[in-house]
Amino acid sequence: MMIVSETLSALFSVLVFPGLAFCVICALAFEWLDRVIIARLQGRVGPPWYQPVADLIKLLAKEDILPTGASHTVGAVLPLLSLASVLTAALYVPVAGHVVSSFEGDLIVVLFLLSLPALAYFMAGWVSVGVYSVVGGSRSLLQYFSYEVPFLMALATPAILADSWRISAIVARQPTWGVFTMPLGFLLAVVGLIGKLKRDPFDIPKAASEVVAGPLTEYSGRKLALWHLTVDVQTVVGIMLLVNLFLGGDTSTFVPVAGWAAPLLFAAKALGILAALALASVLYARLRIDQLAQLGWRVLAPLALAQILVALWMVG
Amino acid sequence: MDRDAVVQALREALGDAVGEPRALPVDDLFVPLELSALREAVQLFQNELDIWHLSTITGLDDGEQIVLHYHFWHGSGLTLSVSLPYDQAEAPTLTDLIAGAGFYEREVAEMLGVAFAGLGEMAPLLLPDDWDEGPPLRHDADAEGGA
Amino acid sequence: MDRMTIPIGPQHPLLKEPMSFNVTVEGERVLEATMRLGYVHRGIEKLAERRTYIQVVHLVERICGICSHVHTTTFCDAVESLLGLEVPRRAQYIRALLCELERVHSHLLWLGVLAKNVGFDTVFMYSWRDREIVLDIMEGLSGGRVSHAVNMIGGVRIDLDDEHVRGILERFDTLERQVDRALVLVEHERTLRARTQGVGVLTPEDVRRYCVVGPTARASGVDVDMRRDAPRPPYDELDVNVILHDAGDVWARTLVRTQETRESLRLCRNLLANLPEGPTAARARRRVPAGEAVARSEAPRGEVFYYVRSDGSDTPARLKVRTPTLPTLATLPGQLDGVAFADVPVVLAGVDLCIACADR
Repeated sequence: MMIVSETLSALFSVLVFPGLAFCVICALAFEWLDRVIIARLQGRVGPPWYQPVADLIKLLAKEDILPTGASHTVGAVLPLLSLASVLTAALYVPVAGHVVSSFEGDLIVVLFLLSLPALAYFMAGWVSVGVYSVVGGSRSLLQYFSYEVPFLMALATPAILADSWRISAIVARQPTWGVFTMPLGFLLAVVGLIGKLKRDPFDIPKAASEVVAGPLTEYSGRKLALWHLTVDVQTVVGIMLLVNLFLGGDTSTFVPVAGWAAPLLFAAKALGILAALALASVLYARLRIDQLAQLGWRVLAPLALAQILVALWMVG
Repeated sequence: MDRDAVVQALREALGDAVGEPRALPVDDLFVPLELSALREAVQLFQNELDIWHLSTITGLDDGEQIVLHYHFWHGSGLTLSVSLPYDQAEAPTLTDLIAGAGFYEREVAEMLGVAFAGLGEMAPLLLPDDWDEGPPLRHDADAEGGA
Repeated sequence: MDRMTIPIGPQHPLLKEPMSFNVTVEGERVLEATMRLGYVHRGIEKLAERRTYIQVVHLVERICGICSHVHTTTFCDAVESLLGLEVPRRAQYIRALLCELERVHSHLLWLGVLAKNVGFDTVFMYSWRDREIVLDIMEGLSGGRVSHAVNMIGGVRIDLDDEHVRGILERFDTLERQVDRALVLVEHERTLRARTQGVGVLTPEDVRRYCVVGPTARASGVDVDMRRDAPRPPYDELDVNVILHDAGDVWARTLVRTQETRESLRLCRNLLANLPEGPTAARARRRVPAGEAVARSEAPRGEVFYYVRSDGSDTPARLKVRTPTLPTLATLPGQLDGVAFADVPVVLAGVDLCIACADR
């Protein structure tokens, strides 16, 4: 009996909450909120709530073609690989305290899994042969090298302060929210997340005015639907990771919060970060790739290094 | 420098090659010129009279010959007009003096069949690559696409 | 890194009209760019030879969607001078009002396009929303948002009353506030400046060699403006401030155009405040006496040139149009040489291309 109920509960965890179903629903909901916030800030109205679902369904119904010379097999595997890696990363990121699986070092696994889509994205451009795709792909690699190092360093800081590489432990051991003890790290993590998600102002690889749609220019139909879903899930996982590492997960520092309100608090923090990302999208022009590289290596990386040194000093 | 002074300077440099100027609306002066004096006139404009702005080159077929109007601007309009016979529709290029003349010369070349000596690139400017019906603005061109 | 030739056009999200660039890049550096025009060539000049003057007014309005009114104004100017016709002052004021409104709408449109090209969608959304105010005003005046059909040979076919004028002035208040905000943004916003400063520089010598006109020339410090240099009424009664800058890059062009928008709104207020009484059109004969005329106006993109030759009939013998985009296009291969590929949209946007105008 125990084994059956344990198995059922594990299946529920993986497939429904906080696993697959929750991730996908959350991803689509966040995409909608993101688009509405950006629209309102730009003086527009924004799409109705079912728009992300409708877009997905529309894409699934479209013809799936690739240019001559492009590899259909690799082109089909890459989005599946990306989606699988972000969904797997979601398994280890606690949602309001609930996590599918947790072990010492799971932060590192999550960071690794979240990096795979970047590689797949570049390969997707390479493999689809078109000129715009290849140029977009090479830019995405250059961008990857500019934001990934500061991002990883910034995310290592909470681990250093909590003396653990296990996300649940980091959440539990934060006396006050990380954003107060290491504000620089939080800022760098957010900036790094913008680069990772290829959002404005770091959407250089898919800058429409230059490379049409970057590496994904030639993709359509099911494959494109999977790519979109990957980005959405990656957004959710990235935001939740930041909430856990820097905003104390579902815990509250100042005012004690009742048990039932903890998930709401978690949601509020996640939405707060989403709003910050949306605001960043709206406020700036897109950088040039060389300007981003300069920013990454001359500003972000040294600051991240400084933050790590401060953190090391703080733990003594 | 006012227009009379410009015409005077042209006459002094080029003598009989300069014809009788006529004032035209809205605020223009058309100066007929021998083809052979064209480049010298433009050099005079640039080097001594500080006239550098070429608005465009109008080519037209007036029934008896091809006429090229070089429209300059210098506080008011100043146009040099040269005439070319149909069977010898050739003119020297001005692109080494005025880089901007390139597009105008190419358009006149493809629309009226004028050959500009020294103009490097003769690819069509506006007409399609496969245009094979002759210069469209000549009077003997096919009258297609009527009103 | 390998050399690659990237086609920009004839279809590309960057281009609003079809033209073809082939940009050869090595990594992110552009090595050379070649151009092909003519995708929107409709043979306007040839068509004009087979239409009456009244029909040609209708025809030339369709050379361009954004500067349609200034085309008809210049053509009418040329024909009216051949006819020896005196256009009533009220009509001249109304024509100039629409010309300046068109300049405002064109520059706001352009600001949005530039912003889109540098990935600054927010500015695109806001400037096009403000442009709607101008389009509403123009629709109230003429019945059309971008194609007005206001000019006739001899005058204009519309009129305004006091209430109409009051309504327009009210909307100007909002518009001026928005344009002032846009000006602050252009002057100070760092990412916009980072993308546009030092990009696509044209020296005054380049401007003179290529006979560039309009805001592009003025942004390089070359002082040309047909409103002041060839003042056709009512510009001879107005005091036009010519906006100059000397950096010669895309940022300078942005500043020039945004400040010109402000200046045009001021001129519009002036025109509305001093609108003379009188008829709005003089009667014109159908047959135009034989002769030639040259008319020049300042379109939003610079000097637009019309040459009309008539043979005494009711159709022109020759119509020649030279639009301001054409000389600017000639400078593009030079401007694109050696820039980063990401700067290609910025350079292309900076010169405010109107391919329909250039191709005719």
